[in-house]
Amino acid sequence: MPGAGRRAPRGLGLLLAALLALGAGGGAAYYGYNSPFPPPQEIRVPPQGAAGDMFALAFGARRLFADMWFVRLMQYYGTEEFAGDEESEADPGHKHDEHCRHGANFGTGKYPGFLPMARHILEIDPGFVSAGLYGAGSLAFNMGRTAEAEELLAYGLRYSPKEWKYLKVLAAIGYSKAEDPAAVAGQIQPLLKEPDCPVMLKQLAAFLNKKIGNYAAAAVIYADIALTSRDEAYVLNARRELARLARRTVR
Amino acid sequence: MKNWLPLTWAVAANSFGESVRHRFFTLFSVFAFTAIYASVLAGVMAVDEEARVLADLGLALMELTTLAYVLFQASSSLLKEAETKTIYLVFSRPVPRWIYLAGKMGGVMLTAAFMLAVMSCMHLALLYFRGFALPAAYGWALAGSFCKLAVITAFAFFVSLFSTSSVSTLVISGILWTLGHFVSETRFMAEHAYGIKAVLLKAVIWLIPNLQLFNARDAAGAAAAIAPAAFLAGAAWILAAYLASLWLLARKEF
Amino acid sequence: MTSRAVTFSKVEKTYKRPRLLGAAYHTAVQDLSFDIPAGEITGLLGLNGAGKTTIMKLITGLLFPTAGSLKVFGLPPSGQPAKAKVGFLPELPYFPPQVKPGAALAYYGRLSGLSGKDLSLAVAAALERTGLEPHAHKRVAEFSKGMLQRLGLAQALLHRPDLLVLDEPVSGLDPLAIHDIRKLLAGLNAEGRTIFLSSHSISEVEKLCGRVLIMVRGRLAKTVSRAEWEAAPGGLEAIFVEAVK
Repeated sequence: MPGAGRRAPRGLGLLLAALLALGAGGGAAYYGYNSPFPPPQEIRVPPQGAAGDMFALAFGARRLFADMWFVRLMQYYGTEEFAGDEESEADPGHKHDEHCRHGANFGTGKYPGFLPMARHILEIDPGFVSAGLYGAGSLAFNMGRTAEAEELLAYGLRYSPKEWKYLKVLAAIGYSKAEDPAAVAGQIQPLLKEPDCPVMLKQLAAFLNKKIGNYAAAAVIYADIALTSRDEAYVLNARRELARLARRTVR
Repeated sequence: MKNWLPLTWAVAANSFGESVRHRFFTLFSVFAFTAIYASVLAGVMAVDEEARVLADLGLALMELTTLAYVLFQASSSLLKEAETKTIYLVFSRPVPRWIYLAGKMGGVMLTAAFMLAVMSCMHLALLYFRGFALPAAYGWALAGSFCKLAVITAFAFFVSLFSTSSVSTLVISGILWTLGHFVSETRFMAEHAYGIKAVLLKAVIWLIPNLQLFNARDAAGAAAAIAPAAFLAGAAWILAAYLASLWLLARKEF
Repeated sequence: MTSRAVTFSKVEKTYKRPRLLGAAYHTAVQDLSFDIPAGEITGLLGLNGAGKTTIMKLITGLLFPTAGSLKVFGLPPSGQPAKAKVGFLPELPYFPPQVKPGAALAYYGRLSGLSGKDLSLAVAAALERTGLEPHAHKRVAEFSKGMLQRLGLAQALLHRPDLLVLDEPVSGLDPLAIHDIRKLLAGLNAEGRTIFLSSHSISEVEKLCGRVLIMVRGRLAKTVSRAEWEAAPGGLEAIFVEAVK
């Protein structure tokens, strides 16, 4: 054939070996890997996030985009939970209705996008336990939306079935429905020393301990918050509560 | 031939030296340094999740920066040597083409390892200054990033041998990178598809490297360890790209 | 060692250039048969596009012939044993601008199979032989064209090859540099090395070579010995002009 070099030193053997190796790699990957992530049709993208999700998958950066969604969730929810006196905070045993003024900066019916955003974080990264606990805790104990909290935890458990912290919070929600603050505090207690325990759950545990008269335990938790949290609002509140507890002890 | 290792090392070391002397290397390094330290702003917004955000953002930035640079090197390395006729000085010598190719690929992979090492030091210094400990499975995350980069480097070399320009090599390799992260989703779709669509999707699963295998930085805790099957798959993919590249290079005239 | 360094026998080289639909073919050299005697300096003359560089690349194994056969010291040119005996200087050689000449030569020396003390000695000898020793501390970016050409020659000499293939070795050089290169090549030939060089400069070829091949449109038009052109009225130039017309 004119124009072709007469020598093709290794010919088709190399190409066949390459295809074989490619197939071997594909086979090893096919049989050796099961995706731990939710399938694509489960990902319900909030309107403002479709492009970001595509990047998350395209660059293998699920955790990073889950982090970004978590920051968005916190910004959406705000950090004004403690603008008022702590005594007016949501009580796990208190039933909210449309006239309720407890928790002046939040309440039932506000933050309608909270559950979709919180669930979306777990759809992107099912291993983001802290976000799951934060979302469920906020829904159940701040906003009184226990059904949504349970739905979120159930979704989290589907992809992290051995995650005991979700089970503990589910149990705590159950006790909150039964208006048993001591049991709620007891269920949350084992989570407090875990590195992925959200500070809002610590805050709740401290409040409940204080409510049932367990001031020493409350003080320990507030001290931990003051020492470890980077959220100024929680830290300031913890210090305020520690001062109050100290005054109570003196009396 | 008994001196294949010193020859391969000579080519690899030369390729690595040229990579780090390139002016773009300095640009990429400055960019990486700036981006990693600017990530503090994102971390502060995450409040108590700052450690996680800093770790994730830093690892992602390191991987993407290194990806950009090694693809740039892999797509232009052979082309540049042909254009400047440097390749005449190599192939007029008793250097088998398989050694030259192995050395070139090895040099770019060495560059990737070096960049990851340097940037991880910057990143860990940042985490230390912010008062955070070494993130869980950090070593696995880096190893996974390196494996991904090694696979895509090998494929970029293969593409560069038949593509008409380094830009088209970059684009094709970039597409392969993103497709490689969608293989799991493709597999799910293949299992629920029928007829020709199922066949095509299954072909994609077998032909496109599943880069999610090495994505340890997206896994949590103990699940981050990369399975032996992943290393075998990675080695097989690199070998496939190398053999296909050699098939092209052996027939190439200069 | 065979008495013929290079043997071409009915060699043809056709280039294939892919197009949108099909391919374009261009025959660079055809029906080429000649020998390059060992131990001599043989020149290659021709207009642009005559096939000079193609011949050089066929000898150095960078191209494969479409037809015919060629041998370098009785060996296939693309094999490692033949390449170990050949040193090649392409036209306008390139070296990374930020390296020093010693480092550049060390790399090519390693590719030629040299290492350790042998490599250091070979690099030092090549630098000295080509007059680059006083410039060893400079980076390649600071080199003049003549110095780059010498560096190109230095890399071709590293492994003490039996055959030097030089593509336009004095192209673009000033008269003093040309004189130095000529002297160097004559010295190398005196050591018994075979030199095969191409050039546009007829006068340079006349001064150096014992034999000249004249290429016209891919074919060997004429082989001229020194005795022939010295006896001819117009010298080598007249013979060349007559051959290419």
